[in-house]
Amino acid sequence: MTTGTWRLTTLVIRRERLIAPFWMALLAVLAAGQAGRYAQSFPTARSIADFAREMAANRALTAFAGEVHSPTVAGMAVWKNADAIYTVLALIAILTIVRHTRGEEESGRAELVGAGVIGRFAPLTAALVFTAGAMVATGLICALAMISTGFDVTGSLSFGAAITAAGLVFTGVGALAAQLTEGARAAIGLAALVLGVSYLVRFTADGSGLTWLKWLSPQGWSHLVRPYGDDNWAALLPALALAALTAALAYLLAGRRDLGHGLIPQRPGPAGSARLRSPLSLAWRLHRGLLAGWSVGYAVAGLVLGALARSIPEVSRQGASVQEFLRRYTASPEASMTDAYLWLIALSLGYVAALYPLLALLRLRKEELEGRAELLLATPVSRLRWAGGHLFLALAGSALILAVAGLTLGLAAGDPLGVLGGTLVQIPAVWVLAGVGVLAFGLLPRAAAGISWAAFLFVNLFGEVLGPIMGIDYWIAKYVVPFPNLPMVLSGEEFGAGPLLVMTVITIACSGAGLTALKRRALA
Amino acid sequence: MNTAISVQALHKSFGRAHALDGLDLTVRTGEVHGFLGPNGAGKSTTIRILLGLMRATSGRVTLLGGDPWRQATELHRRLAYVPGDVNLWPALTGGEVIDLLGRLRGGLDASRREELLERFELDPRKKAKTYSKGNRQKVALVAAFASDAELLILDEPTSGLDPLMESVFQQCVVEEKQRGRTVLLSSHILSEVESLCDRVSIIRAGRTVESGTLAELRHLTMTRITAELAGPVPELPWAGGLVTEGRRVTFQVADHDLDKAVRRLSETGIVALTSQPPSLEDLFMRHYESEKSAR
Repeated sequence: MTTGTWRLTTLVIRRERLIAPFWMALLAVLAAGQAGRYAQSFPTARSIADFAREMAANRALTAFAGEVHSPTVAGMAVWKNADAIYTVLALIAILTIVRHTRGEEESGRAELVGAGVIGRFAPLTAALVFTAGAMVATGLICALAMISTGFDVTGSLSFGAAITAAGLVFTGVGALAAQLTEGARAAIGLAALVLGVSYLVRFTADGSGLTWLKWLSPQGWSHLVRPYGDDNWAALLPALALAALTAALAYLLAGRRDLGHGLIPQRPGPAGSARLRSPLSLAWRLHRGLLAGWSVGYAVAGLVLGALARSIPEVSRQGASVQEFLRRYTASPEASMTDAYLWLIALSLGYVAALYPLLALLRLRKEELEGRAELLLATPVSRLRWAGGHLFLALAGSALILAVAGLTLGLAAGDPLGVLGGTLVQIPAVWVLAGVGVLAFGLLPRAAAGISWAAFLFVNLFGEVLGPIMGIDYWIAKYVVPFPNLPMVLSGEEFGAGPLLVMTVITIACSGAGLTALKRRALA
Repeated sequence: MNTAISVQALHKSFGRAHALDGLDLTVRTGEVHGFLGPNGAGKSTTIRILLGLMRATSGRVTLLGGDPWRQATELHRRLAYVPGDVNLWPALTGGEVIDLLGRLRGGLDASRREELLERFELDPRKKAKTYSKGNRQKVALVAAFASDAELLILDEPTSGLDPLMESVFQQCVVEEKQRGRTVLLSSHILSEVESLCDRVSIIRAGRTVESGTLAELRHLTMTRITAELAGPVPELPWAGGLVTEGRRVTFQVADHDLDKAVRRLSETGIVALTSQPPSLEDLFMRHYESEKSAR
């Protein structure tokens, strides 16, 4: 049943040989680079302990990063970046496992392979072997990077194990989702939903102080390992158990269903349509599922995160680190910690929402590559109208999800209109990413997917994570990332339209250039 | 206007590779024009240039009197296209796709749509992702035939159809022709070309090697003779591909040498004789194979 697994695994390795080393290295830099930077900034045990104490008291930050377990350089580096590493690796695990299971079936390549001397379970096994192997390798690389920077071996290994555990759980979840749904996109959506819920539960645990809630979240288990603290290896057990259970269920389903099918059978649809009459109405059909998923996710996130706002305690504002925190996220001495927290949440919703227009615009490239654009553009539909429809929905969709999250966040936090304003100002910053997406698609279509994901990661990591590791001053981010330029309307700043107008102009200029390039180039 | 498509000295290069190397193609209004050539000869590239999806490197291209690159949108109102590899939106049903493409082309004939669905035995309520290759092609064909386009561009439209559907397709093309529409049909199926096309163009390695009616093209080739003789086989200096088995001989001969060859045979005494006109297969094999030697 698993004949040919090894040959398929080598095929997967070959196809991943460029992208996998890239993200493994990125995560190792996030882990060890941060530690190196802290070692420079806090040269004495006393200074790092002060920093740890200030951070531990700041619940607006610990909600994002988790509890402080060890007031050492290594411990604080883990505190700062571990949650981002767990979440990013989990997302990578989902994308990788789905790409090599359901993605292959959808493209028809699995059929070609399945007709060879290949066991029924070989493709799933090969995908699992590669993805799980990559998760173990990533944990190991991160641990080695920490050890070579000079940190405690046991702590480094438990950190690596916590990273691997987060990846393994979502390898299993992704494998199961790929068997349940009929399309790769639906599988990614389902697994990402589990990841989102897991993130919110962990966030709620640390934001509310109800830390036992962490036992209900896969990312929480990795946090509970407490690297460089008491190295609680037992917290890995539920992660390994869930990874094994989901993988086993995936095998069970793979053995029972037909190639190309999911569990939910197809029903016949309408025999025709009077509503599909324009490229825009078609684009709406293609985008509405994505939009609905994001809207529901954002509504729930807004409710949960907003409810936590009331439980953010005030802190002493004496320490240097707290001062820096206030400088970044508040604009007036009167702003409370709750205000700072709400602005941080609004910003985070904006940072994550930046993915929406990029995903929406990458559909254009998919339509082009898979020949559907050709079918459409051989009718009297101009390229401008075709791409314009998708661009419009990318812009309107990202505005809508931010509005939805702003409403629920504000309702739960007790300030509906004010908080809504705070999330709406994110819109022009998110739109800049849409401009980047259109520009890439028009000018460098082959690299569009890579550019889009790189732009998303760059915007999210540069200011808070990569910049500090590279020793770049936080405020430099203002010149390369839109979000730090937004008026902090939730934490004391007056609304000013200036930066928003600049961002809108950048969006228009990039989109215009991208669409012009699209008009001139050959289609794939 | 009596020329639907006019292509002269068309060149298209991708980097250093030359996909089209001086291609000529003339399709007269109202004719069904066969567009033939081995895989990779440049048929699809030519069609993509005709549709304005790609820009020619050099050469003159006129489609329905306009420039296919600059006036793509206006020209597309008057044509319908069926790609060789039809990819549809997986979540849409076949009927929805037909309606969408029809509306975008400016409306389609509802009764003709029903009739075509019945003739092609296509269930329009199924999601596109559940269709086979042949059924996806039927979706594109129904949408094209139900439109009121004056020009149909069909790129290997029957490669996934069964013989029954192939004959329905042929009837449809004949009907289109009777309505005065022009059809550019790229195909590998020779019986299809033979029964449908008024004229054909054969291309090879990005260049047109032959163009004309089938009768004209046949004339350029050889007649195959098989004969059983009363005595030993004589010298036949005009014969090609000569095979002798005792008193039985098979060879090919050009039309202008036919008379001399048959006289020579009858001098020995003919017991039995068959002569075959050149088949389309022979015609194409000659062109397709000479491509190998050209490489």
